[in-house]
Amino acid sequence: MTALLKIASIETLYYDRIYALQGLSLEINEKEVFTVLGPNGAGKTTLLKTIAGLLKDQPNKGTIQFMGKRIHRLAPERVSRLGIVYVPEDRGLFRELTVKENLDLGCWGRKDKGIHDDFEFIYQLFPILKERSKQQAETLSGGEQQMLTMARAMLRRPKLLMLDEPSLGLAPLVARHVYDALSQISQAGTTILLVEQNARMALRIADFGYIMESGRIVLEGTSKELQENEDVQELYLGLGGETVSPKGWRLYKKRRTW
Amino acid sequence: MTNFFQYVVSGLSTGSIYALVALGLALVYRSTRILHFAHGDITTAGTFFAFTLLGLNLHFWPAFILAMVFGALIAMTFYFCVLVPAQRREATQLGQIILTVGLGLILQGLISYFGGTEPQSFPFPLSDTKIYRLGNVVISELSIGTFGIGLLTCLFLYLLVQKTRLGLAMRATSENLPAAQTMGIPTRGILALSWGLAAALGVLAGLFLAPTLLLDPFFMLEPFLKGFAAAILGGLNSLPGAIIGGLILGVSESLAGGFISIAFKNTFAFLIIILVLLVRPEGLLGEEFIERV
Amino acid sequence: MDLIESYKEELQLIRKPWTRVWVGAFVLALLLLPWYAPEHITYVFSIIFIYTVGVQGQNLLIGYTGQISFGQAGFLAIGAFTFGHLSRLGIPWPIGLLGAGLAAGLFGLVVGFPSLRLKGPYLAIVTLGFGVAVYQVFVNSEVLSGGRMGMIIQKLSPHFGLSRITYNYYFNFLIALLFTLVSYNIISSYMGRAFIAIRDNDIAAEVIGVNLTFYKLLSFAVSSFYTGVQGGLYGLFLGYLEPNMFTFMEAITLFVAVIIGGLASVEGSIMGAAFVILVPQVFSSFKEMVPVVYGVTILIVLIFEPYGLYGRWFKMRLYFRNWPFR
Ligand SMILES: Nc1ncnc2c1ncn2[C@@H]1O[C@H](COP(=O)(O)OP(=O)(O)O)[C@@H](O)[C@H]1O
Ligand SMILES: [Mg+2]
Repeated sequence: MTALLKIASIETLYYDRIYALQGLSLEINEKEVFTVLGPNGAGKTTLLKTIAGLLKDQPNKGTIQFMGKRIHRLAPERVSRLGIVYVPEDRGLFRELTVKENLDLGCWGRKDKGIHDDFEFIYQLFPILKERSKQQAETLSGGEQQMLTMARAMLRRPKLLMLDEPSLGLAPLVARHVYDALSQISQAGTTILLVEQNARMALRIADFGYIMESGRIVLEGTSKELQENEDVQELYLGLGGETVSPKGWRLYKKRRTW
Repeated sequence: MTNFFQYVVSGLSTGSIYALVALGLALVYRSTRILHFAHGDITTAGTFFAFTLLGLNLHFWPAFILAMVFGALIAMTFYFCVLVPAQRREATQLGQIILTVGLGLILQGLISYFGGTEPQSFPFPLSDTKIYRLGNVVISELSIGTFGIGLLTCLFLYLLVQKTRLGLAMRATSENLPAAQTMGIPTRGILALSWGLAAALGVLAGLFLAPTLLLDPFFMLEPFLKGFAAAILGGLNSLPGAIIGGLILGVSESLAGGFISIAFKNTFAFLIIILVLLVRPEGLLGEEFIERV
Repeated sequence: MDLIESYKEELQLIRKPWTRVWVGAFVLALLLLPWYAPEHITYVFSIIFIYTVGVQGQNLLIGYTGQISFGQAGFLAIGAFTFGHLSRLGIPWPIGLLGAGLAAGLFGLVVGFPSLRLKGPYLAIVTLGFGVAVYQVFVNSEVLSGGRMGMIIQKLSPHFGLSRITYNYYFNFLIALLFTLVSYNIISSYMGRAFIAIRDNDIAAEVIGVNLTFYKLLSFAVSSFYTGVQGGLYGLFLGYLEPNMFTFMEAITLFVAVIIGGLASVEGSIMGAAFVILVPQVFSSFKEMVPVVYGVTILIVLIFEPYGLYGRWFKMRLYFRNWPFR
């Protein structure tokens, strides 16, 4: 199987001098769910924005290939038309437009017959959107906004769906709903690149994972491998650690293996 | 009382000119957050172009349409050849505004050079002296035409922006540019179109204004400033605001000129605006974009 | 660029010995100009000096404090006519000029008030409205503008056996020099830094303790004081005033001078003033092309050299100083 997206040692800078990504490489295969985990400021959002072409003249170095074609430093419109859809952290909704108008914009540039089916699909995923279709996007709750932005992304028939922290600021139950929808989307055959801080949830639906810290990939493996890795367990899943000291506290910080 | 209605009627006619100018400015500001100081000069250029075409014995309507296209082309060329490169070099907002001042100066010089500074009278299909009576109120054919064109344009713009896919894309682009880009909407094209459309509206206003004023390179300066004031009055990023602002300005100016003093007509208009702004700093219908520190 | 090691050094007007030589040579060249240059050059330079004052004021407002004003022609008119009336009352010129500055500064305060609430485009329109209003008041009121034929002002009578043009030249030179020194003082004092803080981020400036109300108003007042003095000098120089000298185009000219010279730079203001006076002189047989030259220069400056003529000069200087290293 060839990689759908292939990133080779890219560097992204802000203001020509602040390094946010430093020689990062990763590969994403078709029809799988990939997740990138990492603490705040690791550069996860920067990674997605770089792929989407939203950072002007970035990546500074390195290449990004999508289905064998180079896409680095293309305009975001062009990247989007190739089938890479980016759902940003702030959800990127048109807040003053209605739900239906937001969805219609998702179909921009599509004229095929499948639009109707796609609407069926998303309304079945998120029935609430049908009820709210005349409402302004601004007036939706956080969870509904997340659903709207995912639905809008699906209407673009993405070949690669990139989501930035979809569970951010959502109640656990709502977050679970969002993740259920994500696994349905994945089963329908969409490749997903998922950026998360909530490692437990992300690893549950992911096939493969990367751990990212200060602009680099420090660990990669299948979801199962990562879940079994001691460091990941301690730092990201909040497991282990209790048994380290017989007195209930630790004298020194455990050295990470990366 | 008759006087009052007379002033309101003539105010509505000038007001629709202001509204057309203001609509253009609001379109540009909404989409690119730029105060378009060259708007008046583009309008003048378009009107001079129409004048030249009429001099070549072209018929009125084709000449007018070509003039609007001409204005739109100037604006779009400026957008693509100056603004886009400047934005790529991280020009500040003030810098982009100043760029439009630069364009305005260039156009003004070129118009004076090619068109001459002598005031000329502008032939027009509607007459200024043919008069209709509504009760005691007198209204000229040209005023009716101006008001009618204003209404038609507003209707057209409403349909375009609210009812078409293109309008939807325009609204989306002006609200959230990066999101529109990731939707694959050709945002550059949409923005250029907004500039072009704004210029076309301005030229339309200029064409209906030229027969009452004499045509010279500076004939749009005052209407432009008024249109500007009207746009601000209505709230710079609101299209309905621009229309309302234009009409209010036209009527109040006409009333002030009639009842207070004709000499201070302009001053009075600005006074109203300053007062409105002190109460509502973002204009009547405007919502300023939220600023984060 | 250069390392500043002590506060004293920071406060120094000129830091490098060589710069001292250059500036000295420049000032000397200007001082001797009437003796070697033809008369009309001396005349044009006098006008440049007059403009220097107003452009510096405008730059303090736009470049340093970041507040747009298109009402500068209004302040100019107020200053000029105040000076005119004072001089007609037989009041000597120093007090007349001071009065011109103060009157304009007072109106600057008034116009500054909206700036406390309004920003960017909204402020621009208010100042613009002010300019239009002042113009109309002067056009429509013969009492203020000195009648239909304009206002005749007693010109300076030359002393020390100098010709009138030479005397005027030195007079305006000294005043421009004085205001330039004051500008340098303002920008390197707390006041100047408060202005810059307001420009860069007014909310943050307020948070760190800059009194926003006071300094915004002060900036308007100081800037219009300068502009008012320019108006007075202009009247004194020409000996004649009429409202049509102070249209919107005049405001634009001052604005253009600031932009082309370079925002937030005193040297830039001087270069900008020279630019807007010299271009019409050079293009005197193509009057229509003057705005085109202004416009094209603005486009070039803003796209390629956002710091204006001064920025270009600065880079050239750096290049030669470091030559042959880059
Ligand atoms: N607009 C920006 N300007 C400058 N630095 C930025 C900007 N956005 C992010 N950064 C820096 O880049 C690094 C990565 O940020 P980000 O990609 O947002 O991290 P994450 O999404 O993983 O929390 C951080 O150190 C941050 O400070
Ligand atoms: Mg992030």
